[in-house]
Amino acid sequence: MAELADRIDGGGDAALARDGAARIEWVREHSPVLDGYVRDAVSDGSLRGKRVAVVVHLEAKTAFLATVLADAGAEVIAAGSNPRTTDASVVAALRERGMTVVADAGGDYDSWEAELRAAADCEPDYIIDDGAELTMRTAEHRPDVFARLKGVSEETTTGTARLQAMAAAGNLPFPALTANDARCKHLFDNRYATGQTTLQALLRLTNRQIAGARIAVVGYGYVGKGLALYAQAMGARTFVTEVDPVRALEAHTDGHTVGSRAEIFPQADAIITATGGMRAIGEADIPFLAHDVVLGNAGHHDLEVDTEALAAAASEVFESRPGITSYTVAGRDVHVLAGGALVNIAGGSGHPVEVMDLTFAVQGLGVHHLASTELEPGVHILPKELDDSIATAKLASYGITLDALRADQRDDHTARMEEGGAA
Amino acid sequence: MIDTTGSGAERIIWAARSMPVLTQVAARVKSAGTLNGLRVGVSLVLEPKTANLAIALRDAGADVVVYCNASSTDQQVVEALRAREFRVFADSAATEADELQLAREFLETGLDILIDDGASVTRLAHREYPELVAKMIGAAEETTSGVRPLRVMHEEGQLRLPVIAVNDSAAKYLFDNIYGTGQSCVMAFLDITNLQLAGRRVVVVGYGWVGMGVAKFAAALGARVIVSEIDPIRALRALHDGYEVTAFREAAGAAEVVFSCTGLADAVTAEHVEALPDGAFLCTAGGGDFEMPMEYLRGLDGPRHVRHAVTAFTTRSGRTVNLISEGDCLNCADAEGNPIEVMDLSLSLQALAVERLAADAKDWQPGVYDLPADIEQEVARIRLEAAGGSLESLTDRQREAARAW
Repeated sequence: MAELADRIDGGGDAALARDGAARIEWVREHSPVLDGYVRDAVSDGSLRGKRVAVVVHLEAKTAFLATVLADAGAEVIAAGSNPRTTDASVVAALRERGMTVVADAGGDYDSWEAELRAAADCEPDYIIDDGAELTMRTAEHRPDVFARLKGVSEETTTGTARLQAMAAAGNLPFPALTANDARCKHLFDNRYATGQTTLQALLRLTNRQIAGARIAVVGYGYVGKGLALYAQAMGARTFVTEVDPVRALEAHTDGHTVGSRAEIFPQADAIITATGGMRAIGEADIPFLAHDVVLGNAGHHDLEVDTEALAAAASEVFESRPGITSYTVAGRDVHVLAGGALVNIAGGSGHPVEVMDLTFAVQGLGVHHLASTELEPGVHILPKELDDSIATAKLASYGITLDALRADQRDDHTARMEEGGAA
Repeated sequence: MIDTTGSGAERIIWAARSMPVLTQVAARVKSAGTLNGLRVGVSLVLEPKTANLAIALRDAGADVVVYCNASSTDQQVVEALRAREFRVFADSAATEADELQLAREFLETGLDILIDDGASVTRLAHREYPELVAKMIGAAEETTSGVRPLRVMHEEGQLRLPVIAVNDSAAKYLFDNIYGTGQSCVMAFLDITNLQLAGRRVVVVGYGWVGMGVAKFAAALGARVIVSEIDPIRALRALHDGYEVTAFREAAGAAEVVFSCTGLADAVTAEHVEALPDGAFLCTAGGGDFEMPMEYLRGLDGPRHVRHAVTAFTTRSGRTVNLISEGDCLNCADAEGNPIEVMDLSLSLQALAVERLAADAKDWQPGVYDLPADIEQEVARIRLEAAGGSLESLTDRQREAARAW
C-alpha cells in the first residue's frame, strides 16, 4: 500500500501511458457533467486557438479537464501545482495525446519552479490556477506575458486571497474568476471531498483506527467542517481550534470540542491542518504536541505543518513507514504524513472523481466565460446562473427531479408590499 | 534508538506504537513468570501486528516459534522476525507441499501451546502427531471458521486438547468485526475506486457484526444504506439503526454498491447481479469469494481489468458490473487489513488465553472453552485506560440494592 498509485500495467513508457489513459477513462466514466453539459457548452468555438495553462495537481482528473478543453479547440499547457502530486502515468498519457506538459513526477521544489517558469514561457492567454502559483510566477518571471493575460480562473481559498491581494495593490490587469467562491465548488470539493479523502489517506498511511481516536482540526472553514463531520460520523472524538469567533461557535454547536491550541493539541492522537495559511502548527506549538501524535495537512501549502521548525527542534528525524516522517523532539515522537504536503493527494489518490466533476465544471465554464464575455480587470465570481446550471446537470445525471415553486407558495405580504399595498 | 533496518522491521515498530494493551499484558505475564520455559507456536496471518504478538510472548518469557501459509505471509515480516532470531516456518513463495512441510517442522519443534487460525495446525497435529498432541497443554483459536470444526471434533470424541475459542469473545467481535472490518472495508472501497459513497445506494447483505460495521461507516460517509437480512430480529435492529430494510431481490435494482457481509456461500446470486443498475460495484466484506456467483461471472463477457482491483463484466442484460478484489475480502486483499488498535485487543486476548492455558489447563479435559470473563474484562479495561478513559465503580449501597429482592 506504500505505492499509492493504482498501476494496472507493467513497466515501460508505452505501458505507463496506457496506465494513465485507463485512469483518465475511469474519470470520464464518472464525470457526467464535464463529459456532457460542459463539453457541449465550451465547444462553441470561443476557446479555439486560445492558449490555456492548466496548473492543478496533475493527476487523472485534471488530465480529463485538460482533454475536454483541448477537444474544444484550446491549446492546453499542463503543469502541476505541487511538486509532490504529479502522476507519471498521467503525464505520459497526455504527452502521447500531443499535449504540452511541462511537469514530471518525482520532482522537487527547484524543478517545479523551473516547470512553472516554462509554463509562463509558453505565453498562455488564460490560466486555470491553483493557489495562484502560475499567476504569481508569471508576474515575476514574464511581466510581458502577465500584462497580456486575458484571464485567470482560480481553484483554491489560498489562491483567491492572493488574487485579492494583487487586486488591492492595483496589480491585476485582467479579470480573475474565483472558482472557489462558486457554490458548486466549495460546498462539495472543500467540504466533502477534502474531508473524506484526507481521512482516507490518514487511515491508509497509518493503518490506525478512527473509532475512539481524538482528532483535532485546525481551522473550521469548509475543509475543516468536512473533516470534522466525517471524523465524528465514523466514531472519532473531534476537536477544533479556530481564530474566528463565529466559526468557533459554529464548531461548538456542531458538537465538536473547541479550544485554544494549548488546550486541544496535547489531547490529540492526530492533528489535521485546514487553514489554507502557513505554519498552522508552528515552532511555538511544538511543546503542545503529545508523544506519537500524527500530523497531516489538508490545506494548500506544504508548510502548513512547519516541518522546517520540527526538523530544527528534533534530535532525530527518521522514516517510520512509507509516507510517515518522524521527528523526535524532547523525547516525544511526532509523525508527519506525506512530508506535510496535501495528504489526500500526495499520500492518496486525491479527491473523489464525482466531486472533481463539479469543480472542473466550474473551471471549464469559468475559462469559457472569460473567453466569451467582456469582463473588467479585477476579481469576479462565476455568475449564479452558471453555478446553478452545473448542479442542475449533476442532478439530471442522477435522475433526480428538482422541485419547482408554485405561485401560491410565495409570502402574500411580500407580494402586496411589492405592489405598493399595505403589509 | 529505533531500529529502522528493512521496512518489515519499521512496520512492526510502527504497529507497536498503537498496541499498549499487548505491551502491558506482556509485562504483567513476564513478572508472573507463567510462560517461562514454555514453547508457544503462533500460527496466524503473518503481518506486523501478529509479529508483535510473537515478540510480546517472547518478552513475557516464552520460547516462540511462528508458522504461516504462503498466501497470508508478508515476507518482509518473516525477514524482520528472523533478524530478531525467531524461528519462522513461513515463505510467501511456498507451494502447498512446502507449506505442509513447514507446518510439520513447526509442530516437530514440540509445542506446549498453539495459537491457531482456522484450526489448520490443530487438525494436522491430531492427524499426524498424536504423540506430540499428548504432550501439549492446549490451544487458542482465532476465527469462526476454526471454532466450527473444533466443536465437531469434540462431539465426535476426537479432540485431544482443551482449546479456548478466543473468536467468540465479545471483546473480539464487538470491536474487531464491527469497527475494524467496517472501517477497513469501506475505506478500501474508497481507496480502490477514488469515488464517493455520499448519495450512493449501498446494499449491505447480512446484518451481523461485520454488516453492522460496514453499514455504520458507509452511512457515516453519506451513503443511503439498505440492509438485507434473513433473520427478523437482526432486520428489525437494522431498521432501528436508521436503515431501510428490504430483501436483496427487491433492492438489487437500486444497488449501486453491494457489500456482502454474510460469510455464507451464494449470498449474491446471478439473478441479483442481473438486476443491478449499470456500473454497480460488488464487494465482499465477509468470508471470501464464495459469497459471489463466481461461476456465473466467469461465464459473462469481459472480464476487463479496468483499474487495480477492479474487474468489469457485462451482464446478460448488457449492463456493466464491477467486481472488487476478484470477490475476495477487499480489506485484506487490497488494503492492510484491520487497523492496529483492534488487533491490539484481539491479540492481547490471545496472549492472555495462552497464559491461562499455561497456568490452569493441565487439569482441563479436552473440549472447546469460552475465553474466561476476567480476561475479557482486563483487556477492555487496559484499552479504555490507554485511550484516556476511566471506569466508574459501584458503591456499597448500590451493591446492596443490586442484591435486593
